Amino acid sequence: MFNRDNKLEKFKDAETIIGASIKVKGNFHGQGNIVIEGMLEGSLKTDANIFIGEKARVVANVEAKDLVVNGEIKGNIKVKSYLSLGGTAKINGDIQYGELSIEKGATVNGQLTAVNDISKKDNREVENIKTIEE
Amino acid sequence: MHVYIYDDYLNKSKYNKSVNRMEIRLTDLGLNGKIIRLGGIKNIKGTIQNEIKLGAKTIVAVGNNQTVNKIIGAIIDTDIYGDFQKKTLLGIIPIGSDNSIAASFGIKNEEDACNILLARRIEKIDLGLVGDYYFLNEASIESYGTNINLEDYSLEPEEKGTIRIINLLSDKINNINSNPHDGLLDVIINTRKKSQTILKLDKFNIVNKNEQLLVDGVISVKTPVDISVVRDRVSVIVGKDRSFQ
Repeated sequence: MFNRDNKLEKFKDAETIIGASIKVKGNFHGQGNIVIEGMLEGSLKTDANIFIGEKARVVANVEAKDLVVNGEIKGNIKVKSYLSLGGTAKINGDIQYGELSIEKGATVNGQLTAVNDISKKDNREVENIKTIEE
Repeated sequence: MHVYIYDDYLNKSKYNKSVNRMEIRLTDLGLNGKIIRLGGIKNIKGTIQNEIKLGAKTIVAVGNNQTVNKIIGAIIDTDIYGDFQKKTLLGIIPIGSDNSIAASFGIKNEEDACNILLARRIEKIDLGLVGDYYFLNEASIESYGTNINLEDYSLEPEEKGTIRIINLLSDKINNINSNPHDGLLDVIINTRKKSQTILKLDKFNIVNKNEQLLVDGVISVKTPVDISVVRDRVSVIVGKDRSFQ
């Protein structure tokens, strides 16, 4: 688990780290926490948490319990629990989430859907944010 | 019965003091046994296998990482491996440099090793397998131009650096502390721009058209080559200060 911020420190114990100079192709599925700082094409999935670094580029559908995004994702996102989009996040794809936070500067091209009752409040907040930005 | 396998480099005079110190300590502890000096032997495998057949309870590598690898190479995947696994333990007495295997087992020096032999604290250890070669510590290769291929995905480093495939190693500087009981190899890729990649893998293939894989710093293996881990393959006498639990 990590706190509700976008910092890498929360992932110090990550079992899997894909560094900035690494390109991954294929279906990258794990069970522990995953940090992506490089490039990934295919699909990305874990039962635990994923951190997408600022310079990371992910062309894949992404599934995780919690997800922190500071880089770019082209693909659909499914997060069971908590999704955090940092100010440098760029998302092209539909998003399903439990709870959501979006920092100023993040861009999303796609549909946002809350997947449980707890997050209905968050969903409304997102709509408000979009409205204000428009 | 203990059988002590002395590596050939111990014939050099600079190791006389260490060897003498070790032999005195072994005598004090009542751990005397048969001594085999590899320097005078052509058929190392046959000699070690014969000692196991004759009922050696402990085969002790006296030397460095290469000595340990020679002994493992003589035992694993041979006809006598069954006997070895049932009856024989592997001990290590490190002398000189290049002793990272002993260090990982918590064995600091030759005198410490003698005490550890007496205590007989035993651990079953995984071995890494690169092609036909088993390794205890690690294998490494240049990262640029190397592809790591798994069933579902592949990894391609785009910068120069090093790929290390680790079974057993304690390296506090690089924050590496592998576990030789988990059935997994730690794959660590460090590139020039200080980017680090860390994965735990059990079975994969490595390809590099220009570079070879270096196994335990001794054996060069051409790629493509399959790499895997074999669980609990060898019983080793270890120290209480070993780098793993």
